[in-house]
Amino acid sequence: MSAAESAAAIQRNLVDLLDFIDWSGVECLNQSSSHSLSNALKQGYREDEGLNLESDADEQLLIYIPFTQVIKLHSIVIKGSEEDGPKTVKLFTNKEHMGFSNVSDFPPSDTAVLSPDNLKGKPVVLKYVKFQNVRSLTIFIEDNQSCSEITKVQKIALYGSTVETTDMKGLKKIEEH
Amino acid sequence: MVLEATMICIDNSEWMRNGDYSPSRFQAQADAVNLICGAKTQSNPENTVGVLTMAGKGVRVLVTPTSDLGKILACMHGLEIGGEMNLAAGIQVAQLALKHRQNKKQQQRIIVFAGSPIKHDKKSLEMIGRKLKKNSVALDIVNFGEDDEGKMEKLEALLAAVNNNDTSHIVHVSAGPNALSDVLMSTPIFTGDGEGGSGFAAAAAAAAAAGGVSGFEFGVDPNLDPELALALRVSMEEERARQEAAAKKAAEEASKQEKGGEEQSSSQEATMTEHASGGTSEADNKKNDLSDDDNALLQQALAMSMDEPASSHDLQDMEMPDVAADDPELALALQLSVQDSTKDSSSQTDMTSWGRSK
Repeated sequence: MSAAESAAAIQRNLVDLLDFIDWSGVECLNQSSSHSLSNALKQGYREDEGLNLESDADEQLLIYIPFTQVIKLHSIVIKGSEEDGPKTVKLFTNKEHMGFSNVSDFPPSDTAVLSPDNLKGKPVVLKYVKFQNVRSLTIFIEDNQSCSEITKVQKIALYGSTVETTDMKGLKKIEEH
Repeated sequence: MVLEATMICIDNSEWMRNGDYSPSRFQAQADAVNLICGAKTQSNPENTVGVLTMAGKGVRVLVTPTSDLGKILACMHGLEIGGEMNLAAGIQVAQLALKHRQNKKQQQRIIVFAGSPIKHDKKSLEMIGRKLKKNSVALDIVNFGEDDEGKMEKLEALLAAVNNNDTSHIVHVSAGPNALSDVLMSTPIFTGDGEGGSGFAAAAAAAAAAGGVSGFEFGVDPNLDPELALALRVSMEEERARQEAAAKKAAEEASKQEKGGEEQSSSQEATMTEHASGGTSEADNKKNDLSDDDNALLQQALAMSMDEPASSHDLQDMEMPDVAADDPELALALQLSVQDSTKDSSSQTDMTSWGRSK
């Protein structure tokens, strides 16, 4: 299974979608102010074991990540500790400004129950069909492994590929003669 | 300038009939609400404010978050007092109203006026607070009116549950001479989390502090008319400088007067005569003309010389012959002044005295 997975990964030219995140629109509800989403998402911070994203009032977290262009999402890596790491994770695509009250209003695009292996870094492969045309991703962390008050997430990484779109930076103005 | 959607929860229960805040608790509350709405809409034009009442028949939303100040002020009219306040339901409805705001980029804030006793227990209030924090809604509490036991603790507990990085505040206003609105104006509820305060709030606070209609220097608002305010300030400084110079000169002359006696006064009179020849001979007219003149020194001298003959009449009479004998030039000057004085109708007595001394 893992061999097939990695083969598929090589085939699809998977990239870390960190570069395509639109940082100005990233939001996280119920995060603790000292332990914010940057600790889990941003380059460098997410590799640091000591820096975690932590929840505040209760154990749920709602993370909204918009992208700068349309992408296909293949898999997701969520790393955390065995006790406080997330357990049930629901993913919603292309739904803006969700709140805790309407997470149950529509079915998620995918649901993942994280095992200890996942929490060590094993990617969770997502349903291919649902993640072909993703403009924004909402991650709802419903509970954690030990049902404690605070959920701690050490790293969130997204892997996928881009849809064929024009790279605006590559466009050059035509010189007028 | 934070972009914010605010819901104001008004307490219109029976407890608001009390008159311990002038004119009545309800009226003081209404004034405060009007001021808050104005401050919010002015600090950022895209801010929206909504109002709901917590008592009466039940929680009722009067106006959903809007940036139209007129609409908000209009809905404050004709509010009726009655019933009991339902704090929990009020906050929850406010949260719902904010959830359905049009501009999702706005921060959410609820301002609660808690004037009557609170019948909910601390636990349920804390749960409400945590739910607000989870959905990143800030809460401002104005504790006024009834002060029964446990009310302050409950509200403090609610604030502690909601507060995230000091975005939520509580203000206790006790009954007294200060109006509810005035007390609120200096709090973060008005000034908005220490960003420096909106111009509205700062200006209103200054006016209230001065206690007058216009709390500004010279009665002109620097915000409204900066050039006029500047001109007034500059002319005030010039006047002050001029008066200081004149006072200094007067002091110098006063000291010289004591030493030099007549010489000083006669030289003054000489200068007086020069001017007299140029203008009218009437001393009264001279005085009037010079009062508008920039030369305050001259004015001072004129005043003194006018006063001198009347007051130190005898002194002059006695000293005159001696001085004239010593200094022929001085005598000439005196003669000139005498000639002019003879034309002066107001100094008739002086003339006769002069003539006699001569």
